[in-house]
Formats: sequence, C-alpha cells, structure tokens
Amino acid sequence: MHPQLEAIFDEAESRYLKQDELQLLSQYVDSLPIRLNVYRTLRDRELEVMQPVADQLQAQLPNEKIENLERALKTAMLTLRYCAMGLLLNDQSFAQNRLISWLGGTMRLYNVQSINTVLYRLVHQYLSQVLSPQELNLLTPYLTLAETLMHEQSLEATSIQ
Amino acid sequence: MISVADLLTNNRIPGNYFTTDAYVRSDLELGLLENRRGDRLLALPETLIQAIYSGLDRETGQATRLVMFNCGRWWGKNFYTRFREELTDYYGQALADMTMAEFLQCFGQCWVTHGWGRFKMDQTYHNRGFLVIETVNSPFASQAPKGDRPVCFFEAGILSSFFSQLTGRELHCIQTACESLGSECNYFVLGLAKRLQPAEALVEQQMPHTKIMETLCA
Repeated sequence: MHPQLEAIFDEAESRYLKQDELQLLSQYVDSLPIRLNVYRTLRDRELEVMQPVADQLQAQLPNEKIENLERALKTAMLTLRYCAMGLLLNDQSFAQNRLISWLGGTMRLYNVQSINTVLYRLVHQYLSQVLSPQELNLLTPYLTLAETLMHEQSLEATSIQ
Repeated sequence: MISVADLLTNNRIPGNYFTTDAYVRSDLELGLLENRRGDRLLALPETLIQAIYSGLDRETGQATRLVMFNCGRWWGKNFYTRFREELTDYYGQALADMTMAEFLQCFGQCWVTHGWGRFKMDQTYHNRGFLVIETVNSPFASQAPKGDRPVCFFEAGILSSFFSQLTGRELHCIQTACESLGSECNYFVLGLAKRLQPAEALVEQQMPHTKIMETLCA
C-alpha cells in the first residue's frame, strides 16, 4: 500500500480520520479505476507490446548477440510487471525495492546500457499505442524510475571496471 | 527472430527469490518465522550468539574455533541442500545451469535476507586456485568477544562446506580479516586445505589480507 495511506491508518488508530486524511484516501480510491485499467491492459496486452519491441530491437541492433537481447527483453518485461504492480498499489517504493535488489545486481554484472537505451525508447513508443495519454502519464514515473535506476547501476559498473 | 512468448515459462519471469519482504514470513499468534516455502526459520538473539562464544570458550577454551567451524560446516551442508532445492524449484533450472552472475546474485541476496550481512565474491585469485569472499556487517563479528584474531568461525565453516559441495572438491576456508579487529570487511579465503595451510600462521601473526594473498600465491 501507498506509504502515506499506511501511515494515516497507523496514526488514526483510536480516532476518526481528519478531513485532509480522508481526502488523500478518496483521491486514491478515485484513481483506482484508471489504475486497474492500466494494469489490465499491461497484463493482457504484454505480448502485443513486447513482440514488436523485440522485432524492432533486433532490427536496430543487428550486431548484438541474441542472448543479450533476450536477457534485456526479459528484464524489461519483469520491470514492466513490477511497475504495473507499483502503479496498482500507488507505491513507487515497491517497484524501486524490487528493482534495486534484483536488477541492480544483474545490471552490474551484464553491461547492457546500450541495449536498454534503444529498448526503453521502443517500449515507450509501443505502450503509447495501447494506453491513453492519461494512462501513460500515470505509468511514466514508474518507468522513468526504472530507467534511471538501471542507468545509475550501469554507470557504477563502468566505473568499477 | 526472438519470440517473446517463448521467453516466458508458464507466463512467469522469475525475479528475486530471496527478496526480504517476500521471503520471510511470520505468524505472530504462533510466534513462528517461516520462509516463503513454509520452512521454519530460526532467529538468533544477540545474547545467544554472545553466549555461544563465551560458553564454548569456558567449556573448551582453545578448541572453540574448531567446534564452531565444524558446526558451521554442518550448517553449511544443510544450507547448500536447501538453497539448491529452493532455487531449482523457483527458477526451474538446476543450480549447475545457472550462470555465475545469477548464482552470485541469488547467493548474495540470500545472505542479506538471512541477516548475515552483505556478500561479495572476489575472483582475482581464481586462476591461482583461491576464491576470496568478502562480507560486511557480520552478526558474528559484531557479537564475538574482541580478541587478536578473526572470529567468524561459523561463517568460515558454512562457506567451506557450501562451496565444497558446489564445486565438488573438498575446500577449506580461512578468515584473513575481521570486522571485530577493526577491518572494513571480513575476508574469507577458500582453497584446497594443503595450499591454504601456510595462511594459518600468517593470520596468527596478524598479517594483512593482501599480504597473505601475495604469500599464498607466490
């Protein structure tokens, strides 16, 4: 759950919620239909988005090893799934923690920044075909977070090497 | 041509199995800690760790190290079996088929989630027949009585039997630097017992880790 909402429930243990606290809660509830919609779209149309991404990726990076492309694609799908869950919960820290603890390490081990730059541009491009601008806006902070995180990790990897 | 559907197995993309929030579960009413497969977990209070050190020291004196090392070996043996089972179940592939990178990532996360601190493997001396493991925030180093030599005997035992089973060769493990002695991290060196032998005396002389490695590889 969103950390702010969790805090509200904790604090209001033996009293009624205040107006501004209820406001925050109803904002979240109001945003739920669209969140659910985005989540459903991402879940049901994952292949529809990712297959053309894969085809384009391969076309744009013909010299890259298939193995590396496949790994990057798999990671991107996992990232998208974490982002979808984070979006549903309205909790950026969920996506962030999952991504840091897992992808952080693998990013350091495989240097895939060059693939990711192309890959995420394509993911954005194809997502905009299945999501409305409003829906995409809601998802973008999560994707940006993931991208930034991966970029930072691979910079770290380069500086270590 | 890459088929995205083929990249998915049963529509799953295995992620971080040992992630702390998903791996450790508790039942407050029963006072139980479990992992995500439902196996029991044991929490070691700091007092118990301190008591193990001081009790063993009083009962067995000098032999403390050996006792703890052997307990660690026993622990490591079971730990390896469980680790292998859990990963094989979750990732749907044998431990031997995992890449080194994936293995290290899992093992490191497993180490963190069990509360043993951060774990890193240094393969600089790999072609000389030694593996160096670096850990930070060891609960054993922080609770052991301060002495003049490394104190993470449990961990050394765990690592020795874990990596012996993983590599199929009988490996010994010696700790060459310890947080309890003011070091920034703990170093453990894994290798064949005969080749590691000289390190014992060098640790006794409190020679720094890098010097010990130079001597071992000379």
